[in-house]
Amino acid sequence: MASHKESIIREPLITGKNITYAQITDDVLSPVENKPNKAWWIGFTVASLGACLWVFAVSWTFWYGIGSWGLNKTVGWAWDITGFVWWVGIGHAGTLISAVLLLFRQKWRNSINRSAEAMTIFAVICAATYVVSHMGRPWMALYCLPLPNQYGSLWVNFNSPLIWDVFAISTYFSVSLVFWYTGLLPDIATIRDRGTGWYRRIYSILSFGWTGSVKTWQRFETVSLILAGISTPLVLSVHTIVSMDFATSLEPGWHTTIFPPYFVAGAIFSGFAMVQTLLLVTRKVLGLENYITMFHIESMNKIILVTGSVVGVAYITEFFIAYYSGGEYEQYTFLNRFIGPYWWAGCMMYGCNVLMTQVMWFKRVRTNIAMSWVLSIIVNIGMWFERFVIIVTSLHRDYIPSSWAMFYPTWIDVSVFIGSIGVFFTLFLLFIRVLPSIAMAEVKLLLKEQSEQAKLEQIKAGHLDRDQVEFYKNSLKKFDSVDVSAYENV
Amino acid sequence: MDSNKKYWKGLEELNKTPEFVEKNKHEFAEPIPIEDVLSGDGLLGKTPRRDFLKAVGFGVGAVTLAACQKVPVHKSIPYLIKPEEITPGVANYYASTYKGHAILVKTREGRPIKIEGNPNDALAKGGLNAQAQASVLDLYDVSRNKSPLLNGGEKEWSDLDDYVKLELAKIKDSGKKITIVSSSISSPSTLAVIADFITEYPTAKHVSYDAVSYTGIIQANQNSFGKAVLPHYNFDKADVIVSFGADFLGTWISGDEFTRQYVSNRNNKSLQSKKMSRHIQFETGMSLTGTNADVRIPLKPSEEGVALINLYNAITGTTLPGSKKLADNTANNAIAIVAKELQAAKGKALVVAGSNDVATQVLVNAINAALGSYGTTIDLDNNSNQYKGNDADLVEFINEAKRGEIAAVLFLNANPVYDYYNTKDLTDALAKVPLKLTFAASMDETAAVSTVVAPNHHYLESWGDDSAIAGYYTVVQPTINPVYNTRQAEESLLIWSNNAVKSYYTYVRNNWDKSVLALGGLSGQKGWETVLQTGFIKVADKPASAYTFSRDLNAVAQTILSQSAQLVASGDKTYELHLYQNVAIRDGKHANNPWLQELPDPVSKVTWDNFAAMSLTDLKALGLQEGDVITIDANGTSIALPVLLQPGQAEGTISVAVGYGRVKGGAVIESGIGKNAYPLHSFRNGTLQTTAVAKISVTGDQIILAQTQTHHSYEGRSVIREASFTEYKKNPYKNSGKDGEHKDYKSLWEEYDRPTYNWVMAIDLNACTGCGACVVACNAENNVPVVGRDEVRRRREMHWIRIDRYYSFNEEGKSITEEHEIDKLKSLNNVSVVHQPMLCQHCDHAPCETVCPVLATVHSSEGLNHMAYNRCVGTRYCANNCPFKVRRFNWFNYWNDSRFENYLAEQHTQLVLNPDVTTRFRGVMEKCSMCIQRIQAGKLQAKMEKRPVKDGDIKVACQQTCPANAIVFGNGNDPNSEVSKALRSERTYYVLEELNVQPGIGYQVKVRNTTELEA
Repeated sequence: MASHKESIIREPLITGKNITYAQITDDVLSPVENKPNKAWWIGFTVASLGACLWVFAVSWTFWYGIGSWGLNKTVGWAWDITGFVWWVGIGHAGTLISAVLLLFRQKWRNSINRSAEAMTIFAVICAATYVVSHMGRPWMALYCLPLPNQYGSLWVNFNSPLIWDVFAISTYFSVSLVFWYTGLLPDIATIRDRGTGWYRRIYSILSFGWTGSVKTWQRFETVSLILAGISTPLVLSVHTIVSMDFATSLEPGWHTTIFPPYFVAGAIFSGFAMVQTLLLVTRKVLGLENYITMFHIESMNKIILVTGSVVGVAYITEFFIAYYSGGEYEQYTFLNRFIGPYWWAGCMMYGCNVLMTQVMWFKRVRTNIAMSWVLSIIVNIGMWFERFVIIVTSLHRDYIPSSWAMFYPTWIDVSVFIGSIGVFFTLFLLFIRVLPSIAMAEVKLLLKEQSEQAKLEQIKAGHLDRDQVEFYKNSLKKFDSVDVSAYENV
Repeated sequence: MDSNKKYWKGLEELNKTPEFVEKNKHEFAEPIPIEDVLSGDGLLGKTPRRDFLKAVGFGVGAVTLAACQKVPVHKSIPYLIKPEEITPGVANYYASTYKGHAILVKTREGRPIKIEGNPNDALAKGGLNAQAQASVLDLYDVSRNKSPLLNGGEKEWSDLDDYVKLELAKIKDSGKKITIVSSSISSPSTLAVIADFITEYPTAKHVSYDAVSYTGIIQANQNSFGKAVLPHYNFDKADVIVSFGADFLGTWISGDEFTRQYVSNRNNKSLQSKKMSRHIQFETGMSLTGTNADVRIPLKPSEEGVALINLYNAITGTTLPGSKKLADNTANNAIAIVAKELQAAKGKALVVAGSNDVATQVLVNAINAALGSYGTTIDLDNNSNQYKGNDADLVEFINEAKRGEIAAVLFLNANPVYDYYNTKDLTDALAKVPLKLTFAASMDETAAVSTVVAPNHHYLESWGDDSAIAGYYTVVQPTINPVYNTRQAEESLLIWSNNAVKSYYTYVRNNWDKSVLALGGLSGQKGWETVLQTGFIKVADKPASAYTFSRDLNAVAQTILSQSAQLVASGDKTYELHLYQNVAIRDGKHANNPWLQELPDPVSKVTWDNFAAMSLTDLKALGLQEGDVITIDANGTSIALPVLLQPGQAEGTISVAVGYGRVKGGAVIESGIGKNAYPLHSFRNGTLQTTAVAKISVTGDQIILAQTQTHHSYEGRSVIREASFTEYKKNPYKNSGKDGEHKDYKSLWEEYDRPTYNWVMAIDLNACTGCGACVVACNAENNVPVVGRDEVRRRREMHWIRIDRYYSFNEEGKSITEEHEIDKLKSLNNVSVVHQPMLCQHCDHAPCETVCPVLATVHSSEGLNHMAYNRCVGTRYCANNCPFKVRRFNWFNYWNDSRFENYLAEQHTQLVLNPDVTTRFRGVMEKCSMCIQRIQAGKLQAKMEKRPVKDGDIKVACQQTCPANAIVFGNGNDPNSEVSKALRSERTYYVLEELNVQPGIGYQVKVRNTTELEA
């Protein structure tokens, strides 16, 4: 691979001048090896207050019962499962980036996969807390596991999508964790090598005795590929199964065969939005503009645009099928999303997810950091509302009109959700303090070929098509981390 | 055999080398460095061995002691000497009486836990209303008076007797008056006790009055026919029934009896013989009866008299002076058509009116006489004893008291301080009565102002008798020893009147031996024991004779018209007020009963509150939303109530339920439920009247009413299927979906095997009146928790069976059922109502079963959908996936949570629980089990008797109490069972059958006899 140069027309994946391997290590490890700055402390305080709120709200729920939420006899799931699906969906981007993009040799993933995977793990943790806390008797949660027992033997109901969920989520979590940790090994070893004292000892244990020998690297690459192979079906399967929680039911608005692909697209959509939300801040605060470049931002925006449109098509399909099926309950459910008492939630869903993301057709929007960030937040809100609409708006008016009811959240509902965001950010902020937020080893692979400086060398060396060079130079204009003036005389 | 073989471990041992011999002297082959340990660091270390051992010893000891700590244990104590008649786990049934109904009381281990109708009861034939079902809970009410009170202090009965007797003797000597104020008493023995009391104290007088009075009818009968009684109505003999505001299926006189009679002309059996009665209701507010009418015409209170005069004119062809047309043309037409129909059904017609006005009732008598109703649909010879009160007597008592003539008043089952309209008058009067004594079971409003409280037994602790209708005698027998230090009121009266017989039991025995037993051809101890088992004696009815009406009606018409004129509301924000009884709470005597408070009003579906029902037109004109609080000002008092949009409410009127707003008498009452509407009554023409002119003002406050149903239309869905009687006669399959080609649904699931039993149910929508008795029966049978107003507001009531009530509106011959069309209607006057009992459908392809992750809800081999509470982890997926939304989740621990202690989270109250049914912990799902405990009991009984289960052996609680017999339960595998026959009806359909969940409950199409009026 190293024997030939990459085409000049490809945009650089690392920008900046005089970037060396040591420079990368220093840049990436700066938050790990130094005392946290003020911004981190502020963020961490807010996040951990949120996490405390979560502990309080969940304890309250356990003490008094699920009745402290706003659910009722008609709407048996609301903010709980909305939050669960939302978090699981967010997790999907990490797996997609780490596994699918690896298999497709999308090298730009190297800069963002670490954070994205961490995000996956934390999001799945948040989702899993909902799985347990929404149960009426969480202390009996072990009944959901197919454990040998003396009741006869009494197994779980393998027909129930909730059981599929148990398997799907636990598999997903364990595979993601292993994949993430495997990728961390060489980076942890780097920290070990640079550290001293107890610090060194801890990272030494965590690095599993990484030696950095050729054989180690070779095995590392192989394991990564294998894990990527295992993870790839999970990208599709997890949210497919989550969607079956709804699709296999009888509820109009849930009982929809389009749900699996629709949910997977939605999951990737929301996941990339969350990665965007996090990385736009991280790159600024940690000064990683050279590694997470405008190219990354724009690429992710493109994915958001594509998946958002896929989701839009799914929405339209749902409406068409509701109309075409002639099923009176189905038709009413979809009409109810617009004309029912929850019309505003429907507007949030369709507006945020489909209409708002369409502005990303414009390159100026895609490459505008502020707008990208705002849009990523809008997508996160929209996707929360998508799940809310699917769950609550379908349930609150289903078959028997006498049971139609409204759902009003209590402060506990709100606290559990806000608290789960707190938990997520607490974990994420701790993560960037103790582990490298960018996969150093993998980014270093890009330095020789795909970095801006390497490309500059290439241009300076000549032998390139002028038009291509011109094209390359033009493509650099959008980068906020590239000094375009440097290219004027080249 | 000795062996001389030698074993050795090594050559050293065999050869006995010196080293070996040396080593073998010690216990261990190699030296153990024990000396090193003991002399070295071992003892000098930071935790020496000894300390370590001490610590271990102390630790183990402490843990052991801590483990010895007793956890709180609730001991169940077995019988030391088991009473002969009690077998633990086996229920005993005792015949008794509730308000004239022969009942059976189910007791378990000496505790009454359920009231069931006596299948041979002359009134309702085993049906019971919600009050009767709920009455057992009052027995365990912790707010009952626990001992006699004198001036607020607890006393022994003997002290109290001494005091009361002394006082009474003083009064007797002084010649001042004693008054016994009671609600209507139909018990012959109680009346005899009172008569004896009056003999002992000749200045004593018995005044009967009823909070909701029937004086109007009684006086009118005195006036028209010289008989001051309430007649016995025969709705089963009426082909055409016209009611002016009489809620005869609900609260009027004998609702459950009339329901049975009424439905007999409208149920499946009657329809199959192509017969169905006609029922036209003219009324102000929507009553339960109004919801069942074939035609319902909203009528203002001020128009009722005019309408009756017009009806009389049309039937008799005369014109009473002052007759005029009604303002509303629909009502005018209706009167004309109704008159024709009534005439055509002469001898089989019945006109009833709910008014308590004598003149109005005289006119109704005249109409009925003209229709030849007397002797057929109205029986004056076998009269009803259920109500005897005379309003004027109470007013007279108050006047006497105010004049200081009364020295003692005894309140028996009466609470006038709460339910008399003129509280101030009464309070002033009572202030002048020195001895105020009440037999109240709890510290109600009257007990609070009484000097002596001599708490009465609950009826389940009492002996006694009753006679609801002439010739029908029922017995009351105790089913439990008195729970508190109470004494039966009759016994107190016997003691105070120095009666020779001091025990009321003996008194009742003597009374029956003397005059009642012989009527049933019985005598002596054996006869008495027979009565205790059968529960009643029914004497053959006297022949009902026809009565002719011969009074002059001119003056009557004048009175009616002048009264009507007074009722006309004129001016801004002035409305005609109409007071009524709610089906659940009635007159408010049982307001402390949480089962009744949580029973939704059959029409409005409101629980735990009363409200001001108004029409859409009026609400729009006032710019009010449902729940806005208005002040209603009438008769010099005012109350503030939230408004409720009531379709069918006559425009320009407000309806308010009485029975709410009590302030004393128990924890539930004292939590504040509704407002007292009794003060809005007025005393006119010698009776208490329920109508008035009211001025309203808007307060700006908002109250969210706790409704169990907030969407009122069925959106044109096939959940409800209706047909007119004409259509039905042409095609019995009409709208049931069974005619023509029946769609065959393909199934992905395998059929369950149901080899012996397939428990199914049939519910006849044409029989169900929506009264809600089944809901309370189910609560009592299945230990269904009460959750209270706040939780109902959050839509979390736990009822396993509910009655869905849907409104549809008729506009230009079209039925309008969809929300967006209803929103466009200007008036909601022309409304049809349908009631649909909804409970777990026990689907054969149950959607709940497939989604439960832990197999907590599974199918039985008898077609039932089971719920294993122990296994449930509470994901609520089953409830979400239930298309009928009949699953109920335990949001809180209703059985042990201080927030619910007013209801059933009270240890003493929990004695009412059915021990055959477990209470459910928080976090688990529950739902109708088809009374599986009853199915099991029935199967076991049959097994012990070595026979198969017979049809009718097993009755589920809702079915058993239904006065209309709308619910039939049984084995669907038996083609001859009642339920199989019912399900074979052409009218049978299954709710949401297109989902192919294969429900186990079939409904029968609602048929309305509407044609003639439309033609």
